[in-house]
Amino acid sequence: MGPLAEVILLVEDESSDAHLLQRAFQKAQVPARIIRVANGDEAIAYLTGREPWNRRQHPLPGIIMMDIKLPRRSGFEVLEWLRDQEALRRIPVVMLSSSPLPHDVNRAYDLGANSYLTKPQDPEKFVRLACAFRDYWLCTNVDPAV
Amino acid sequence: MTDKLSEPGIILLVEDEPDDARLLMRAFQRAGVQNHVRHLTRGDTALAYLQGLPPWDNRSENPLPILMILDLKLPGMTGLELLCWLRQQRQLRRIPVLVFTGEKDQSYMGPAYDAGANSYLRKPADSAEIERVVSLIKNYWLVLNEAPLVVGPVS
Repeated sequence: MGPLAEVILLVEDESSDAHLLQRAFQKAQVPARIIRVANGDEAIAYLTGREPWNRRQHPLPGIIMMDIKLPRRSGFEVLEWLRDQEALRRIPVVMLSSSPLPHDVNRAYDLGANSYLTKPQDPEKFVRLACAFRDYWLCTNVDPAV
Repeated sequence: MTDKLSEPGIILLVEDEPDDARLLMRAFQRAGVQNHVRHLTRGDTALAYLQGLPPWDNRSENPLPILMILDLKLPGMTGLELLCWLRQQRQLRRIPVLVFTGEKDQSYMGPAYDAGANSYLRKPADSAEIERVVSLIKNYWLVLNEAPLVVGPVS
C-alpha cells in the first residue's frame, strides 16, 4: 500500500462546501494536510509553485480534489492543463461536483479525471465520502511517483 | 444512481493467473457485488471482447463493461498495450480501468498512469487482503463514483 499523501489539494470556490469537506476529512481522521485554493488560477499557481506557494512549505499534492464550476479557470481547464504538464500529469484528480450531468461526467473522464464524485446533500454524507476517499485513495491506491 | 441499481453493468476482469482470478471472483461474491463479473485470461481476448468480435459480437449478451480490472502481465497483449488502445477508442475510452498487478517493479506504475489508468492497485498477498480491496472497489467504484456513459455523446 502506498504511503499516505502528505498534502491533498482541494480546489473549491464555495466556502461552505470547502468547510464541510475539511471538517469531514478531520472527522475521518485523514492525516494529510488539506490545502484549499478557491479558483482555477490559484490551483495552477499552487501546482507550479508560484508565490506565495513556495514548494518547500507547499509540497505537491498526492491527490487533487476539484470542483468543476470555478471562477476564472474552470476545473475542466485546470485538468486539461495538468495532464499536459510533464512533471505533474500523473497526479490523481477526483472531480467533485454538484452536477452528475452525463455531459459533465463524460467531459471530466475525457480530459483525464481519475474519478467523479457528486457532492453529498448533508454533513453526515460528507463524512462518509471522506472515509471512502481515505480508504481508497489514501490507503489502497498506489500513488504515482510524480 | 437508479440506473446502477436497476440494471447493474458488468465488470470485466482480465487476469491470467487462475489463483488470483479465483480469489477475486470469490471476493466479489462475498462482498455482495450484484454486477456480473466477466473473466477473460488474455489481453488479445479482452481486445476482441471490447471490439465486439465473434464470438462476442452480440452486445446484449456481451455488454461493454462499466469497470475494468486489468492485470499488466498478460499473454497475447499486455495490459498496458490494451489500456493504450482503449484510451484511443471514441466509444470506449472512458471506461474506468483499475490496474491490478502483482508487479513489484515500480517502473510499471508511471506508464500505467500515463496510459490513462484510473487507479493502480497492488495485488495483495493473501485472500483476506484481497477481500478488503474488493470491498473497497465495490464501495468506491460501484457505489460512490459517477460512472461515465460508455456509449454516449462525444464532448
